[in-house]
Amino acid sequence: MKVRRADPGLLQIVSMSGVTVLVVDDEPQIRRAVRNALSAGIRVSDIADGSADERGQSRTNVVATVRVLEASTGREAIDLAATEAPAMIILDLGLPDMAGLAVCREIRRFSTAPIIVLSARHADTEKVALLDAGADDYLTKPFSTIELTARVRAQFRRARTPAAPSSEMVISVGDLTIDLAKRRVERAGELLHLTPTEWSLLRAFVTHPRQTLTHHQLFRAVWGSSSGDAQQYLRVYVGHLRRKLESDPVRPRFIQTDAGVGYRFEPAPDAAIAAGSHEDPLER
Amino acid sequence: MSVEPTRRSAAAVPNVARRANELALPLAAGRSARKRRWLLWVVWFTALALAATAMLLVRSKLDEAHVALVFLLVVLGGSAAGGRTLGLTLAVAAFLSFNYFFLPPYFTFAIANPLDWLVLVTFLITSVVAAQLLHRATSTAEEAMQRTAEVDRLATLGAETLNLPRPEDALHAILSVIRTTLDVVSCEIFVQDPEQRIVLAGHSSADVDASRTLTRPDPAGVEPDGKPVPGFDGDAATGSHGLVGWIFTHGRGAVELADGTVRIVDDPAQEVARLEGGDEVRGLSIPLAVRGETVGVLHMHTDGRLTLTLEQARFLDALAYYAALGVERGRLVADAERAEAERRLEVLRSALLTAVSHDLRTPLTTIKAIAHEIAEGGHRDRARIIEDESDRLDTLVGDLLDLSRIQSGAVNPALEVNTVDDLIGAALQRAHALLRGRTADVDLPNDELLTGRFDLTNSLRALVNLIENACRYSPDGSPITIRARREDGIVRITVMDRGPGVPPAERERIFEPFYRPRGTTADVRGTGLGLSIARGLAVAQGGAVEFAPRDGGGSCFSLLVRAANDASPAEHELDARAAAQD
Repeated sequence: MKVRRADPGLLQIVSMSGVTVLVVDDEPQIRRAVRNALSAGIRVSDIADGSADERGQSRTNVVATVRVLEASTGREAIDLAATEAPAMIILDLGLPDMAGLAVCREIRRFSTAPIIVLSARHADTEKVALLDAGADDYLTKPFSTIELTARVRAQFRRARTPAAPSSEMVISVGDLTIDLAKRRVERAGELLHLTPTEWSLLRAFVTHPRQTLTHHQLFRAVWGSSSGDAQQYLRVYVGHLRRKLESDPVRPRFIQTDAGVGYRFEPAPDAAIAAGSHEDPLER
Repeated sequence: MSVEPTRRSAAAVPNVARRANELALPLAAGRSARKRRWLLWVVWFTALALAATAMLLVRSKLDEAHVALVFLLVVLGGSAAGGRTLGLTLAVAAFLSFNYFFLPPYFTFAIANPLDWLVLVTFLITSVVAAQLLHRATSTAEEAMQRTAEVDRLATLGAETLNLPRPEDALHAILSVIRTTLDVVSCEIFVQDPEQRIVLAGHSSADVDASRTLTRPDPAGVEPDGKPVPGFDGDAATGSHGLVGWIFTHGRGAVELADGTVRIVDDPAQEVARLEGGDEVRGLSIPLAVRGETVGVLHMHTDGRLTLTLEQARFLDALAYYAALGVERGRLVADAERAEAERRLEVLRSALLTAVSHDLRTPLTTIKAIAHEIAEGGHRDRARIIEDESDRLDTLVGDLLDLSRIQSGAVNPALEVNTVDDLIGAALQRAHALLRGRTADVDLPNDELLTGRFDLTNSLRALVNLIENACRYSPDGSPITIRARREDGIVRITVMDRGPGVPPAERERIFEPFYRPRGTTADVRGTGLGLSIARGLAVAQGGAVEFAPRDGGGSCFSLLVRAANDASPAEHELDARAAAQD
């Protein structure tokens, strides 16, 4: 294989209308299905920055040029991820030569591109380990192509918007108003009283919107370490927080459960999360 | 057989342990008896001296017959109380003092009248014979009594031991009886598992922490946890390693000596009892045989010298027989369990074949037909059916995988503190498609966050299955209620429908794999595995799935999970740590 480093300047220009995705699966039919789904389902508006709007509103709804790289082994995937610097990696766990976890770790050593993991059923613990190792999302096989493209789009959106809102920001989601600087939460204009633990949890959630946070990651974000017996009570704190934030805690609107994996904060579509730099408590 | 040594079994058998102490008592009594014997000698010699002194004072009024009779009385009394040796010694002492004090010339051993010799010799013979006879009679009686008592105790111990609910407990009880009675350091029983490997079935050792005794070279060549040592070849020639294996194949016992040599004998306990000094015995291996077949090996070991009396040897042989019966019982129980498991597996296998041939082939047939249709130029919208049928296949494959995991015991629940909010919320989300067009009411206690200690993934699957079941078997559009309440140590999550309910005869059968109630319409597209998987997953984490008819018609299926003890301990501390993170 020819090794060449992508010129970052060039990449910037390409990313305006096209994008490179690496698909890793040892099954050619699945690679093909993913390739077809991606080339039809990703629009320029999904990948292009908001500032690209000046190039013309009409262009943003155009199907984006997706360059799909394919790899059938873990070794090949790592090589391609290093040489081609793809904007997104879709990684199957059942590779013939390496464990998916090892591939994920290896790629994370040099790449920050979102990684979506494809896994078979009955592998919750594996999913958790992968998210902890730096994967961004996962899909269970068999998956529908609609779901796949939705997840891919969501990852692009997340990669495009800055990772976390600034700690000075005021965030409004639904009837909630969260003031990170003043540490105030209002629900429909009424001030909520949160314990320090609940507040830390909420802050971890709102600074990582639409991202599944594993129990381990949440615990580190809230208590600073993942040691201790108290880890098991994390779900209880989430339960208390939900009862304060959600109108129906069993059908939560904001804090969703990814059973066996962790929790995900879903801001309402009109969520006003502004840009800004922020020290990421989940920084690995 | 997979009989593992259990520590808790000791607590489970207090009765047997007590019996063991009773049994140990008469055998241990030999030590204090020695002390008592010396006392007897003192008492009876004092009695002889007193009798002699008393008669000496009135010697002039007595004739030889009186003296002989009084002395005879003392000799008989002494031999009755103190045994033959005391009796004979007393007889000789009486003979001498008779001669010295009461036959003229007095205070000499000479005898004036030759006829007095006759008196004296007659006295001696009479006393000796009487002492002998008395000893024989009493000892026979005593022995008979002891044996009766011993047999009685052994019978009781045997009955109690063999009646213990678990064969492992019986072995453990027997081992602790042997160990405490014979005062050995450790005592263990080895058996062969179905693969003919030698495993430790039970052990009892003097240390609470058994590590000391188990670090020494093990005669069976097995690790303390029962796994055979790699390369174990069962050859007696390799030393103490493999000795147990050798005993298994040859059915003979072994006596281990202090110098490291091993003597193969047929009756090791009796052999040790017969040893008089000389060889110092350290260990003993007794084959446990039932109907001529060696089913196990009893091995005991001591740090000092191992000695046995004949009674102890007899007792040991009897207990070894009980141990053999215990091992045999364990084997039979395991065989029966295996047979039952195989029977159930067979039933499942045939049901599985039916399912695979029918339930898997039906969607495949549809997919094939429609794919062909499209290839021949059929309408592309028909591909939607392929997608649906694929989903159905996926569900079935998932169910079959879950069922096989449950049946093979491969469910490893991760018991963690979880909230019922999470469980019900995620279940409603998963069952979203099926719940379309219905209202699902959730009834939770208002003031309390319900928490349980359960595996979220498995419980979720179980609850989703119950919700799906309720949707499938109740009229479209009828509401479903999910209620969760804490009950004494458990959390009960009940899914209630307004379907036809379940007739009493089918209330257990509905939990069998692939069982569908009669009259199920073809459009109920379940796999027939939902309830059985729900129950299997619940049971695997110490919970349950129960059915109850619903008041006013319909069914209630309850998922029971363990309640969490304390919702949030050390809350202040965690709050402080969370605050410190800012």
